[in-house]
Amino acid sequence: MRFLRHHLYDGGGEPEDDLFERNRKEAFENAKIEINEKSRESGEALKKEEHNDAFRIVGIQPDTTALAPLKKKWYKDKPILSMVFLALVIGGCLCCDLIMTKNPTYMDLMNYNRAPDREFLFGTDTMGRDIFSMIWYGGRISLFIGLFSTLISTVIAVVFGGISGIAPQWLDTLLMRLTEILLSIPNLLLVILLQAILGTANVVTISIVIGVTSWPSIAKVVRTEVRQIRSSEYVIASRCMGGGFFHLLWHHLAPNFVSSIMFMVVMNIRSAIVSESTLSFMGIGLPLEIISWGSMLSLSEKALLTGSWWIILIPGVFLVVTLLCMTEVGNYLRRQVNQKERNL
Amino acid sequence: MKKNKVWYVTKKLLIFVVSLLLLSVITFYISRLAPGDPLVSYYGDRVEKMSTQERNWAEEKLGLHEPITVQYVRWLGNALHGEFGISYKYKTDVLEVIAGRIGNTLILGGVGFILIFVLALLLGVWCAWYEDRLPDRIVCRIGTVTSCIPEFWMSLLFILVFSVQLRLLPSSGAYSIGKSNDILDRIRHLILPITIVVLGHLWYYAYMVRNKLLEEVRSDYVLLAKSKGLGKKKILFGHCLRNILPSYLSIMAISVPHVLGGTYIIETVFSYPGIGTLSYESARYKDYNLLMVLCILSGAIVILCNMIAQAINEQIDPRIRANEMTEESEVVKQ
Amino acid sequence: MGTENRKNSMDELLKVEHLAVSFQTDAGELEAVRDVSFSLRPGEVLALVGESGCGKSVLCKSIMRLLPEKARIKSGSIRINDTDISAYKEKEMQKLRGRLFAMVFQDPMTSLNPTMTIGAQIAEAVLVHQPKLKKEAVQKRVIELMELVGIDRARERAKLYPWNFSGGMRQRSVLAIALASNPEILIADEPTTALDVTIQAQILDLLKEIQQRLGTATILVSHDLGVVARVADRVAVMYAGKICEIGTAEEIYYDPKHPYTKGLLRSLPALSRGKETLHTLSGMPPSLVRPPKGDAFACRNESALAIDYEQQPPMFRVSDTHYAATWLLDERAAKVRQELERREQAESMPKEKEEKIQKIDGENTFSDLLLDVRHLTQVFPLTKKLAVRAVDDVSFQIRKGEIFGLVGESGSGKSTVARCVMNIYRPSGGQIIYHGIDTGDRIAVRKNRALLQQERQMIFQDSASSLNQRMKVADIVMEPMKLAHRRPPRGSYRAEAAYQLKYVGLDEACLDKYPSELSGGQRQRVAIARAVSMEPELLVADEPIASLDVSIQAQIVNLFRHLQREHGFSILFIAHDLAMVEFLCDRVGVMYHGRLIEVAPCRELYRNPLHPYTQALLSAIPLPDPKRERERKMTEFAQKYETAGVMVEASAGHFVLR
Repeated sequence: MRFLRHHLYDGGGEPEDDLFERNRKEAFENAKIEINEKSRESGEALKKEEHNDAFRIVGIQPDTTALAPLKKKWYKDKPILSMVFLALVIGGCLCCDLIMTKNPTYMDLMNYNRAPDREFLFGTDTMGRDIFSMIWYGGRISLFIGLFSTLISTVIAVVFGGISGIAPQWLDTLLMRLTEILLSIPNLLLVILLQAILGTANVVTISIVIGVTSWPSIAKVVRTEVRQIRSSEYVIASRCMGGGFFHLLWHHLAPNFVSSIMFMVVMNIRSAIVSESTLSFMGIGLPLEIISWGSMLSLSEKALLTGSWWIILIPGVFLVVTLLCMTEVGNYLRRQVNQKERNL
Repeated sequence: MKKNKVWYVTKKLLIFVVSLLLLSVITFYISRLAPGDPLVSYYGDRVEKMSTQERNWAEEKLGLHEPITVQYVRWLGNALHGEFGISYKYKTDVLEVIAGRIGNTLILGGVGFILIFVLALLLGVWCAWYEDRLPDRIVCRIGTVTSCIPEFWMSLLFILVFSVQLRLLPSSGAYSIGKSNDILDRIRHLILPITIVVLGHLWYYAYMVRNKLLEEVRSDYVLLAKSKGLGKKKILFGHCLRNILPSYLSIMAISVPHVLGGTYIIETVFSYPGIGTLSYESARYKDYNLLMVLCILSGAIVILCNMIAQAINEQIDPRIRANEMTEESEVVKQ
Repeated sequence: MGTENRKNSMDELLKVEHLAVSFQTDAGELEAVRDVSFSLRPGEVLALVGESGCGKSVLCKSIMRLLPEKARIKSGSIRINDTDISAYKEKEMQKLRGRLFAMVFQDPMTSLNPTMTIGAQIAEAVLVHQPKLKKEAVQKRVIELMELVGIDRARERAKLYPWNFSGGMRQRSVLAIALASNPEILIADEPTTALDVTIQAQILDLLKEIQQRLGTATILVSHDLGVVARVADRVAVMYAGKICEIGTAEEIYYDPKHPYTKGLLRSLPALSRGKETLHTLSGMPPSLVRPPKGDAFACRNESALAIDYEQQPPMFRVSDTHYAATWLLDERAAKVRQELERREQAESMPKEKEEKIQKIDGENTFSDLLLDVRHLTQVFPLTKKLAVRAVDDVSFQIRKGEIFGLVGESGSGKSTVARCVMNIYRPSGGQIIYHGIDTGDRIAVRKNRALLQQERQMIFQDSASSLNQRMKVADIVMEPMKLAHRRPPRGSYRAEAAYQLKYVGLDEACLDKYPSELSGGQRQRVAIARAVSMEPELLVADEPIASLDVSIQAQIVNLFRHLQREHGFSILFIAHDLAMVEFLCDRVGVMYHGRLIEVAPCRELYRNPLHPYTQALLSAIPLPDPKRERERKMTEFAQKYETAGVMVEASAGHFVLR
């Protein structure tokens, strides 16, 4: 208690000694009357020595009880299974030379249409090629087409959507009308015509065809994102500070919208792979000699007649599971973005 | 008000016509620029044996010798009179060829679309009701898997199981030979293609309904409705579903061409005689007149559907009509 | 309002005992409500006051069981007329909602279904508990309810949609829905927070009137002690998930016991009138994920006791109606209490400080003109024929070193003025001259671009959206310096950013955080640090405190004051109410519907408001004094004030629109 008095005399300065004493006594009386039973009980629990110590002013002290927030387990909410499987498929396709048991392009006319056995793990197709080897070899091409055509469509979409998002109202309306008209040409016909213009199909031309026909949906997302970010306050703030167009693009627009179109991009890879396989299956995509998951399946009509299920089922299952994993990863990305927004 | 309506409709019509014209120009030029010999589809293998003179004569007969622009203007002039020329392959009037096939596609696409429309709504509501509980999770899982299966492969799978292994359903065509008037037989032929049309699109739309509903369920007015004492069912159907319906309708309107486009592939797999197989052939073999009509036809559907969607958005949803000013906003005439 | 009266009718309508509610979050279990007990008697108004995140809203929602699925009632009971409803199933709760208790929510803009007419939504509420009512009877009841909450021309307006209504009208409609089945308890969760000052007063009066007419027991939730003084019979102050003090309004306002209540009261601007700095509560409420084991307020309490850090204080009884949870009331703390009272007395003693301010006010030494806004007009086209005149012929000047306040309700055009000053909008008419540079002149602007960008800085209302969520705090603060290619005076950009952060009262550890990891007050500090780092001449602050808690508002206002003293820059400070502005500004302008209606030196304006709108605005500042507030009749706001006329100088420096 000495501490208290000392403090008061030095700090406050004014009050006289006896006045202080009187006030103190009064306060003590008041407290006696007012404080209820409960507090006395809990007070008794404290020992006498503690008494003086506990009831002194210590002021603001750093909070020692606060601990660092629990770290989330890294794998929580992540689509681990899909990611592992996707990694396996991609890895297997990249290092297909190590995995393949046969030459995928060699047509073994002695062993055509063979059901899976020890030698031909997944059987052979109607032309006598080993399906197990073809899957890894062809997967490389399917995945490449998926990535390459997505690259093309994303670039077109970002440029187009970006311009449309930044442009004045009339240009924006015009550009959007144009996409609508382009969208109104049936996709299949457009692909056939484009393919005809580009000449015989190969991996690059088919990527271009798919890329050129699949950008509008991403472009629409890019446009709305750009519009939204453009009118946000941090962009206005940056403009006030003198941020130029490229500064805004690099520091504000890009980081904010990359994360929101990631989902679209992953989904686009998926649909590009589907397009390739559909086109090849219908005979307007890759020819039989260029092995991809799609061109492998183009033999399936013959297989239907002979009932060789493995020709249809095995490449298809590979295709579907890969697509499924991509969807899971895409959905995870979308959840990520949405979560961030909700926390704001 | 009435004058506004008239102006609104004329404006929309104008946009429609202009869009169609643009579309016809684009397809006309692209198709003619593409390499390939249209004579093949008219004369078949005989083309290879033709002399240059004969070829020139043939081209002149089909009007292919002139510059593209002239060809286009001629085509347009004829088209405005309702003459779209003859199909090179079938050698009859284009419209006749299409008329013979369009019914099949409309049945396939139309029934498929209605099924998708109803089922997606039901499934979406079902999932939203059981959000994040077992029924929802199971349906979501199955839905994600079906949405990942390419339509053609699903068709193959179904043919393999139901036609080849179980021999329950026919695998191709619209009817068995000689039974073109037997309705039961036609229905049997339709089951597999329609199932695939529906399965191919269903989850995309059902998932959208589910997400939209869940978003709606999280809005503030639901809390107020709950505090009134309304039950979960009444809130979900009376408030939330009602609020998402306009946007669902407009999205479904846009989706019509997607569903129709999907039928093209399925028609090919099942050798189903519809517009899909026809347009595939006409594009591959340069059957110009047929191709143009088909493009215009599907383009018209797309643009029309887009317009319907827009109109739904503008007219049905009172939120978008909010241009009628609120009571306190300060408005002056400029 | 006699308390004796109440003692007789001790039958408690609602009794909450040891209620604890927690949320499951990623970081762990968040204890939103911790061991709360209180009771509500028929016909009384209980105000629940506390800062955001103190659990008051969760408490209300857990009474009505409107909690999200992640929340869980851990323990305790909720008794209504002596029946425990805390274990009721959803079906049983449904029957109670609306009839026994009903709720009014914070934001009337979102709490009505946008696609249904107002009438249909009220009718729905009527029908819930009387499903067999005939159509005409329902219609009659709807009209009756709408008239009860003060919506005139009810018959026509029942057919309108929510977006046809203004904010105040929507809140009235929500109230009508809540009253539809004559509930015994009305829970109003911040019913006026989202509304303008002018409407806030009307809604509060309406609540009080209805409560008196229908005798509905009301729980009124608010973050502002000033607001509830007028209507509350009893007040409960919540902090960190607990009720720290509860008592009658008089007891809480005239004799607060808990240091938090005292702090909250003192940080109200109305009580700091004439002082140099606003009293503030330092720091922020603790996280409730793992709440401190002692008194949660200790880490913000300058006179915290050692025991506060060790043990949670029990509820001490002060009187029959007044309880507070602070160790200061323990008998062993008598000496400390005594000493603190002395300190308080010493503090409240008026000193020479007041004279100082008066000197500044009298001298009016701001001579150099910095910003001159002349006849500024801004028109936004809506459609081809319609346009909104957001700003209409506004003229004012800001001198060097001066803080100019611009006050007006939402939609009065004050933000548009700010944006015009910052060259974000191009004015449709008039001139803005900064430092002799006409900012409407493109050539002049281009010539002086660097200067203009450096010397004028802006702070936005919503710090969450004015900071890029994907940039770290360090990068945000460094951005303007890097853009202007300024060489950092303190070595590196990072060191400079750290210095600026420290300057606005933020820890260096914030440098590597993202804005979403900071609280609202901290984010606003980052925004201020970003603006101040350029050492601007003119700071345009567009409602920088509107979205913050009262105690944090005071912190930010003090920071502005401090900055202005240190640097001497001029500030255009925009706010929607007059309370904080008085404290900070040298001169104040009042805007109404795009027009500037009154400009005067601060003290003059508060002493002698001339325009009826200014008078009404001033009278709407709530006083934390229940007796005076109850007696005082609030100046009714007119439906519309005249905005035609010209500015006339009424006295030296005092202009008014006439």
